[in-house]
Amino acid sequence: MKLFFSQLGWELFRLFARKRTYIGFGVFLAVELLFFYFFSVGRGADRMEEFIERVAGGVDEYFSALTLAFIIVAFTMLLLGLVFVALVAGDILAKETEDGNLRLILARPISRFRLLVIKFLSCQVYTTALFLFVGASALLVGVLSRGWGGAMMVWSPDLPRVSLFEWDEGMVRYFIGIIGYSVVYLPVTGIAFMLGCFRIKPAAATIVTVAVLIGDRILSSIPLPAIDPYREYFITSRMDAWLLLMYQEVPWAQFWEQTGWLFGIGLTGFVVGWLVFERRDVKS
Amino acid sequence: MLSFRKVSKRFDRGRPAALDGVSFEVDKGSICGLLGHNGAGKSTALGVMLGMVYPDSGEVFIGGCPVLTERHGAIRKVGAIFEAPAFYEYLSGWHNLKILTAYSGAVERKLLEETVEWVGLGERIHDRVGTYSHGMRQRLALAQALLPRPEVLILDEPTDGLDPEGIFEFREKLLTLREELGLTVVLSSHLLGEVEQVCDEVVILQRGIKVYEGKVRGINKGWSHFVIESENPEVTGESIKAQRGKKAGEFFQFPSELAAADLLSRLVSDGARITKFAEKEESLEALYLKFSQGSSEGSSQ
Repeated sequence: MKLFFSQLGWELFRLFARKRTYIGFGVFLAVELLFFYFFSVGRGADRMEEFIERVAGGVDEYFSALTLAFIIVAFTMLLLGLVFVALVAGDILAKETEDGNLRLILARPISRFRLLVIKFLSCQVYTTALFLFVGASALLVGVLSRGWGGAMMVWSPDLPRVSLFEWDEGMVRYFIGIIGYSVVYLPVTGIAFMLGCFRIKPAAATIVTVAVLIGDRILSSIPLPAIDPYREYFITSRMDAWLLLMYQEVPWAQFWEQTGWLFGIGLTGFVVGWLVFERRDVKS
Repeated sequence: MLSFRKVSKRFDRGRPAALDGVSFEVDKGSICGLLGHNGAGKSTALGVMLGMVYPDSGEVFIGGCPVLTERHGAIRKVGAIFEAPAFYEYLSGWHNLKILTAYSGAVERKLLEETVEWVGLGERIHDRVGTYSHGMRQRLALAQALLPRPEVLILDEPTDGLDPEGIFEFREKLLTLREELGLTVVLSSHLLGEVEQVCDEVVILQRGIKVYEGKVRGINKGWSHFVIESENPEVTGESIKAQRGKKAGEFFQFPSELAAADLLSRLVSDGARITKFAEKEESLEALYLKFSQGSSEGSSQ
């Protein structure tokens, strides 16, 4: 087990040592600042205050660092999360196959299954780290802008009503929500990883994953009754499960059911990828 | 130490087999050269040895362990170098070694440092691999193949792209490794001279079929080859026939029990006016060309 964690540690070291990782993090930061401008500085700031006053009452109390940070995180990840997670998971094996690194690794006494487990877990750890980075940086921006303290207001079209939290509970909910947000991306990792296990270009694994999930989102959003019987089969509508953690009273049964589905999809992606990779000849 | 038994592999239906019932053995402590044209099946053979390519039939044993069913046990004894080894360019050589050796288990820092020193990368090991020359990458490749201590080295075109000094140095290191550690080596190379200088045995593949397996020394067993020029070719030709000699390419081939001095003496006594007489060394190149041109004459199979 110690050896397994050592191998996982080196895989993460390799991922985080890339310059591209930090360029990616920088892009997220830039988009966060853009949303900060929209919601808190620019011409939209007054309307944001009016909106908070209308749904929660007491803009000074509820337009806090946490409220602002939550909105920034939700929209930033909605915009970039899918592409970035698909890029990392689609790349992690396909790129190494393309570059030839994989041959040096597979000349070592390690099973292909173990290697894939290490790479898959690395992707998930990386995703969680990315979400936490975005969450922490958004909160920092919020605190610098609106100060420490106040209360938290959470609103989304998917919530039955607005949720209101005191500062301390809001802080806990904020970070639990962010971790939950990263976990619901497991299907994205699973699909991109699975594709990367085929004989495929790394970019193709990313593009196909993004295309599938955007298609899934569009189909699940069609507001016609004919779609209703199939709605539960869409992945992206289940990925909204992280918002359940932001309900005033968390519906845990519903949350675990949805998360179970998402785990199932992610693990199915891993297993299919493993079966494909296990049977593949790796040759120059 | 390494046993390749009736291995066949076909990648695509309708295309010739990459390997077709190939068998050969490599003894412990010997260096075996694997020769053949591009597409002859050398890389596939090495891939099968390392468990990266699954054969359709046949099996490879390393130190008695079957690669197909007990890969972990078999590969634990192996170090490998590939043509143009791909390292993580953005990491240092040291970190590349740490990452790769982590997949083999814990390697002591002391052993790592000693190996880095031995391959001559001591001063640059903490620099990014992206800044390394081709020769330095090959040294790094050798270091990773030697960590942790393997019993078998599998080398796929290890000197490809190296300058003559680099090739010489690599050859010396290989011979030192065999001498000091008793390593068994399988070397795939296009450089016949290199194979001739370091290998004890050679296996020649042609279109997936083994066409020759034998010792490098004694390739022309039973025959001697001579360069003979004279002022009277007709008389000389008759004399050569009389001594059971025949034309073999640019050379004349005689039964090896006939000593060079005796042969020369007989030719002269038959009236041949010899202007040039030289015994040709055994040549791997001649043998390789003979088989690679499709001839099966003289195969020792």
